[in-house]
Amino acid sequence: MRVRTGEEAVVRLDLTENAAKRRCLEKEATPGVQAMAQRNKKYDRQLRIWGEQGQEALEKANICVLNVGPTGAEALKNLVLGGIGSFTIVDGSDIQASDLGNNFLIEWDSVGRRKASAVCSVLHEMNESVEAKFVEESPEALIESNPSFFGQFTLVIATQMSEFALVKLDQICRRYDVLLLVARSYGLFGHVRISVKEHVVIEAKPDNKVEDLRFHKPWPELRRLVEEFDIDTKDPVIHKHIPFGVLLIKILDDWKAEHGGQMPSSLRELKAAITSRRRSDDEDNYKEALKAAYLVTSPPVLKPELLAALNDRCAELDSLSSEFWIMVAALKQFLENEGQGEPPLDGSVPDMHSFTEYYIRVQKVYQARAEADAAAVEERVRSILKQIGRDPNAISKTTIKHFCKNARNLRVYRYPKISEECSSRAGTEFQKLLAAEDNSNAALYVLLRAVDRFAATYKRYPGVFDSEIEDDICQLKSTAADVLNDIGSSGASIPDDLVSEICRFGAAELHCVAAVVGGIAAQESIKLLTGQFMPLSGPLIYNAISATSTVFNC
Amino acid sequence: MKKRKGEDEPWAPEPEVMAETTDIEGRWRDLDRLLLRPGILVGPGFEPGIDTRDMIRNDCRVLVIGAGGLGCELLKDLALTGFGNLEVIDMDTIDVSNLNRQFLFRMRDVGQPKAKIAAERVMERVKGVNVVPHYCRIEDKDSSFFDQFQIIVLGLDSLEARSYINAVVCGFLEYEPDGSPILTTIKPMVDGGTEGFKGHARVIIPGMTPCFQCSMWLFPPQVTFPLCTLAETPRSPAHCIEFVHLIQWGQDRTGETFDPDNPEHMKWIYEQAAKRAEQYSISGVTYSLTQGVVKNIIPAIASTNAIVAATCALETLKIATMCSKGMEVFMQYTGTDGVYMRTFQNEKDPNCIVCSAGVPVEVEATTTLQKFIDVLLKDSRFKNKISKPSVSLQGENLYMQAPPILEEETRPNLLRPLRTLMGGEGGILNINDKRLKGILRVQVIFKTTDVDMDTAGGG
Amino acid sequence: MIKLFSVKQKQKEAAESANGRAPVKKQSPGELRVQKDISELNLAKTTSISFPNGKDNLLNFEITIRPDEGYYQGGTFVFTFQISQVYPHEAPKVKCKTKVYHPNIDLEGNVCLNILREDWNPVLSVNSIIYGLQYLFLDPNPDDPLNHEAAEVLRENPRQFENNVRRSMAGGYVGGNHFPRCI
Repeated sequence: MRVRTGEEAVVRLDLTENAAKRRCLEKEATPGVQAMAQRNKKYDRQLRIWGEQGQEALEKANICVLNVGPTGAEALKNLVLGGIGSFTIVDGSDIQASDLGNNFLIEWDSVGRRKASAVCSVLHEMNESVEAKFVEESPEALIESNPSFFGQFTLVIATQMSEFALVKLDQICRRYDVLLLVARSYGLFGHVRISVKEHVVIEAKPDNKVEDLRFHKPWPELRRLVEEFDIDTKDPVIHKHIPFGVLLIKILDDWKAEHGGQMPSSLRELKAAITSRRRSDDEDNYKEALKAAYLVTSPPVLKPELLAALNDRCAELDSLSSEFWIMVAALKQFLENEGQGEPPLDGSVPDMHSFTEYYIRVQKVYQARAEADAAAVEERVRSILKQIGRDPNAISKTTIKHFCKNARNLRVYRYPKISEECSSRAGTEFQKLLAAEDNSNAALYVLLRAVDRFAATYKRYPGVFDSEIEDDICQLKSTAADVLNDIGSSGASIPDDLVSEICRFGAAELHCVAAVVGGIAAQESIKLLTGQFMPLSGPLIYNAISATSTVFNC
Repeated sequence: MKKRKGEDEPWAPEPEVMAETTDIEGRWRDLDRLLLRPGILVGPGFEPGIDTRDMIRNDCRVLVIGAGGLGCELLKDLALTGFGNLEVIDMDTIDVSNLNRQFLFRMRDVGQPKAKIAAERVMERVKGVNVVPHYCRIEDKDSSFFDQFQIIVLGLDSLEARSYINAVVCGFLEYEPDGSPILTTIKPMVDGGTEGFKGHARVIIPGMTPCFQCSMWLFPPQVTFPLCTLAETPRSPAHCIEFVHLIQWGQDRTGETFDPDNPEHMKWIYEQAAKRAEQYSISGVTYSLTQGVVKNIIPAIASTNAIVAATCALETLKIATMCSKGMEVFMQYTGTDGVYMRTFQNEKDPNCIVCSAGVPVEVEATTTLQKFIDVLLKDSRFKNKISKPSVSLQGENLYMQAPPILEEETRPNLLRPLRTLMGGEGGILNINDKRLKGILRVQVIFKTTDVDMDTAGGG
Repeated sequence: MIKLFSVKQKQKEAAESANGRAPVKKQSPGELRVQKDISELNLAKTTSISFPNGKDNLLNFEITIRPDEGYYQGGTFVFTFQISQVYPHEAPKVKCKTKVYHPNIDLEGNVCLNILREDWNPVLSVNSIIYGLQYLFLDPNPDDPLNHEAAEVLRENPRQFENNVRRSMAGGYVGGNHFPRCI
């Protein structure tokens, strides 16, 4: 298929077609099973992170990268290696000598050729299972001439573009519901931001998983299981092989019976009760019970992000509501009814020192409860779907179970429009950072916006000519003051050191800075595309002088 | 495929004099802004100008250890940061599972030495840079090999290898009698590491910032399961796999050495583990998990490697040229929840067994080991700290107080001149004693006499 | 600071001193630490140590235990110790070279001792492990078995267990397994 975009056609590399033919031939010769095994081997180290579902999401993604200087090229390189479905490069420039000094995807003899096609073929050679296309036109021109072009993509990564073009691109992407990621390298500084109306995360995969084990309020089946054990058994071997969960529930029950139904007033009190029941201090199940005792006295609470989602206006459904919000509405009902304030149990149980058989029994009780909770949520989802006039089976059982398993960690991200980032931000966290003593990274955010204004006025970036550096420093200072004024922070000051350094860099795109910024852009793309992990919650500033980054929450 | 360990062929052509044609006018325009222009946020002694640029291109030699996920990125980054003389050492060959991030390799390269292919590809793309590959273990190189480089950059995945290189590099370090490091003996290291969405980069300036050993505690110990749990009460798929790996293999396949790279071996482990899991009603044993547990596979992706390697390469440039302020010595990266990139200044261990100066002790050139021990026992600085000291020089045990078998073997050394035992020069001796919590490093300085002018004191 | 890395100067110096420096055997932190452990060993009279690779390779050694009381009195049991280069970050690898009928040692020589695996920590030493091993012979623990059959016999019938141990150490068969004589 050929798509017309303005004057230039989307050129699909011949290479791609040949490779596709070759793949077909290979498929005939060798069963698809073998190709799949090869793919699984190749992606093994990342499948261990985002799983088959994550990989499939990447393989479905169609990504557009605007400008393939080192920043765009490095971002795309990481995504191509990871096995995205297809990409289209948009770049209108010709290769210059300076590209040989900072871009690894430019071949030595390609000076004078078009950058889009050159980088495209090098990337395609890197992973032939990725479909590669390019458009030899400047992104700015394409934004003006053919906005609907961007509608075909899952994600657009805009690199090294000025704020003015980005504001327009942002509008287009929002109109077509396309994810937008902005990345920029500028001297020893960088900037990455995400722009999308709404991004929901079910599988947040937090580093520290909250153990939801309900020791403080065991349900009847769990209580029944606990009663099957005699934790004071005379048999010393059994005594040290009773799972700690059983110990905790039983010891808590006994405590409450002795204290008129009261909970222990402190963790220390509970620990003392546990210690009094153990026979020796090397009983591993008791060691584990002591370590986990805090789960009884301070069981997990609902996270603020989950509460925010439950109270979100989108949880008030209409016929156009997404699967996610329908499930959130069902979750809300569940919490208020069957759940008695608790979200569905995820059903996972940490290892507990015990006999295999005891542990499996515990595991089964938790899994059964998780199944039952998920079934209850499913029932609510079905009836909600009916109420809003949709097919009650529109959401699959698997999707609902997956949602329930991760219910505690749901996240919703909404990003302000790029144009709105310019408006007053009085009282925001950003202003606090700007007012702080070391405000370098906040000041850099202001300065990176100031250089765009500078460029709009003077048709060049500050510091590109050796002879004009001193003048540029003064001009940039006053431009930065204007930016501060516009965002309602006129009282803040921008360190002179940073202004000078920005001018020293003269808009240089250093390879290593581009590799970091491109790396972050690729990583955030993967999070957005797979719906896993937690993406940036606001604009990011990367400072290569200090090797630090700061995210400004909007 | 069996690795051909220890082989080290010079694949790369002899370093050629850089042809003028490799530097098209304007090629280094972006980097030149940093190297040719003066700045404010720069390191001490930064001298902007052509000389600095030429120094990293022509004179500064950088060794990259590891040509894997970080190594590939490092070579690319350093080459495009203006370093003209790179060498890379790696004992591994390319595997299919490397291709999702080790971007210099292709399917057709599988089985080839990583160092060789990585060097070829970087030289092919970045004209003018010379990359010499070494396909061997780091232990195969003697310390004079490592001494040739001005900076050593580590892209490793093992604690052992890091620890080894750290000991080698700190071994070059010498101190003045006043305890300050002798600047010309300092060989900076830059170390990167990644796991999934997380990573770190650190700068080690031996003698000035904490060495690897000073902060070993930063690395969490590996999780191990009790053997009796594996044997008697397995509860997880990993328990079943580890049982077959650690115990059942020895029982059922007596005399065969388990090779994790042999697919038949791995398949056997998987099948037996699956059987065992079924027997105990445990679910979740898969081939992939079996590999993960047995080989202790660390998940790895392109983006984290790119971020960490580029951070290391930039710090390498800063160390070499001072064109920008250096970061605090330890950078931690986490990409699971937003992006978190923070730096820390951790503490140097003043008694570090690898990088500390050692307490200077001056003795006559003719002192025997026994006399030396007596000197230590009389020295007020060690009062109540030592009572029965054992003495070692590097890997050589000069005198051991225990066990009896070693005491007897090393006893004859007591009557020998310390100077002979130390190979004619002063240096660091390790003193062990029950009263000491750690190891006491003593810097031996031989008094110069009129008769003996050829060896100056100072170790 | 640039002087520090002043490359040309350094290269010149290196060339000048190149023939002066003799290659020194590099020592890993693991070796340094085990040197300390060994120099402070306090062996009971029932225990001895040997270094098959000589006095300067302390990373591999053997410990011989000859219990003078308990079930295993009179037997001789050899354990191999392998110390990692990053010791004490990692525990030593210990195996029993002598085939023994013991609830916590399997027939391949794997030893179930908590401080060798899950409870290892860097403040422990070679001495602590040797104590642990000695203790295993004085007080075999049927609750954490590696040799399931032996553990069961010890639990159910200590007299029978004692007989089995004697028979095995004398070079006989127990439960179809032959044990070389070690007494």
